Amino acid sequence: MPPRTGDRDRCVTGIDGLDTILYGGIPRDNTVLLTGSCGTGKTSLALEYLIHGAVAGENSLFISVTEDSEKLLANIIPYKFFDRDLIKSGKLVFVDLPAMYERLGMTKSELTMEEIDLLVAAIGNLVKELGVKRLVMDSITSVCYKLKTPEKIRDFILKMGKILSDLGCTSVLVSEVAATSTGYSTFGVEEAISDGIVLMANMERRGDLLRTLQVIKMRGTMHSRAKYVLDLTPVGVLLVPLLKGGSAGT
Amino acid sequence: MTDTMAAENIARQLNEQAPGSAVSLQMNVDSYLDVLRGVLDVYANKRDMDTIYVTATISFEAIKRVMQALDIDTSRVYFVDCISHIMMGTAAAQKDEHASLVESPTMLENIMLKVEYLMRRSQSKEKLVVIDSINSLAIHNNNWILSEFLHILVSGLRAKEAYTVILTVEEHTTPEISNMVNLVCDQGIRAAKGE
Repeated sequence: MPPRTGDRDRCVTGIDGLDTILYGGIPRDNTVLLTGSCGTGKTSLALEYLIHGAVAGENSLFISVTEDSEKLLANIIPYKFFDRDLIKSGKLVFVDLPAMYERLGMTKSELTMEEIDLLVAAIGNLVKELGVKRLVMDSITSVCYKLKTPEKIRDFILKMGKILSDLGCTSVLVSEVAATSTGYSTFGVEEAISDGIVLMANMERRGDLLRTLQVIKMRGTMHSRAKYVLDLTPVGVLLVPLLKGGSAGT
Repeated sequence: MTDTMAAENIARQLNEQAPGSAVSLQMNVDSYLDVLRGVLDVYANKRDMDTIYVTATISFEAIKRVMQALDIDTSRVYFVDCISHIMMGTAAAQKDEHASLVESPTMLENIMLKVEYLMRRSQSKEKLVVIDSINSLAIHNNNWILSEFLHILVSGLRAKEAYTVILTVEEHTTPEISNMVNLVCDQGIRAAKGE
C-alpha cells in the first residue's frame, strides 16, 4: 500500500478536523489557497492556523490587505487559546499591506513587473528577518486587483510561493470568490499555481445555510475530498462530515 | 410528582452500562418526568457527570423549568436547543451560558458540532449526551439522514467514551424509528407507566 502521508514534514494546523482531513497537516513549505465567498469563515480559519502556530512556538505573520489589523483583532473570535501576549512577544505579527505599499512608494493603481519584484523581495525580507514559519495573506485577491493581468498575477504568486517555500514558510493565501463562482479564484490563475486548495462555502439545504469546507487539492499528501460542515467556536474551528442523506435532490 | 422507584430503576440500568455505551430509553408520555429524574438526577448528577441535553421537543427554558420544579440540579446540564430558534424564542438562550442554539432541527450537522463543542468545554471525566427525542427529530428529518446522523454522532461519542441516551416516545414511534435506534444502541430500557 502506498504511504498515505508521504515523507514530507507536516505543518500541523492545530485545527483537529483539518489535520485529520490532511493526514496530519499541510506539507511544510506548501502555498495553499484558502478560497471561498464572503462569510464562509476564511479569515477566522486562517487566523486560527497562525495562532496555533504561534502557541507552538512558530513565528507567524498575518499580512492584511483589505482590513486594518486593529479592526481585525477587535472582531476576532474569543478563542480560548489566544493570548495577546503572542503579539507582544512577536510570535504573532500583523502587517498591513497598504502601509507596505506606501513605504515602497507603490502609489499607483497598477503595479509594474519591477514593483512586483520589489514587493516580493520586501515580503521575503520580512519573513527572513522575523523567522516566519507560517504566513497568511488576506486576501491575495485584493493584491491581484493591483496586478491586473494574468501574467503579472502568475509572476507574483510563483515568486511569492518560491521565496516563502525557500524560507521554510508554510503559507495560506486567502482568496475571495463570488458565491456563484464555479472556479476557485477570481482570476483563475491563483488556483492553478498553488500547492493546495481549501474551499470554504455556504451550502443551502432546504432553506438552511451550512458553512462547508472541502480540500480540493494538496500536493505532497493524500487527503479526504469529502465535504465537511464547520462551526466557528471559541475552541476553534470544528468540523463534522456533511450528511449525505440530505444532499439527495439538492 | 415522580415515581421514585421508576427513576431509580432507570438509573440502576444506566449504571450497568460500560463507558461509551449508547442506550435507547423508550418511554411513554406519562413517564417523562420519571425519565428526567432517573437520567439527570439519580444517574448523572450522582456520578458528577456533565450532561449535554439535546432538546428537539420543547425549548430548553421549558425543560429547565420542569427540572427545577423537580428539584433537579441543572448546574451541570448544558442544552443544545434545536427548537427555540424556529419558534423565534431565542432571547433567553442567547443570555444563558448553558444553552447553545441550533437554528433548526434539520441542521443535524450543527447539532453534532454543538455537542462536540460542549464535549470539548466540559471538564468532567464522564459525560452524558441525551437526545430528546428521536421522534421529534423525525418530524423534521427523513429516516435516511436521521439514521446517518445517529450513526456518526453515537460512533463519535463512543470513541470519546461518553454515554449516550436516546429518548424514544412509544406513542410516536414507528418500526423504522425503532430499527434506526436499535442499530446504534447497545441496550434498550423501557420506562413506561400504566402497565
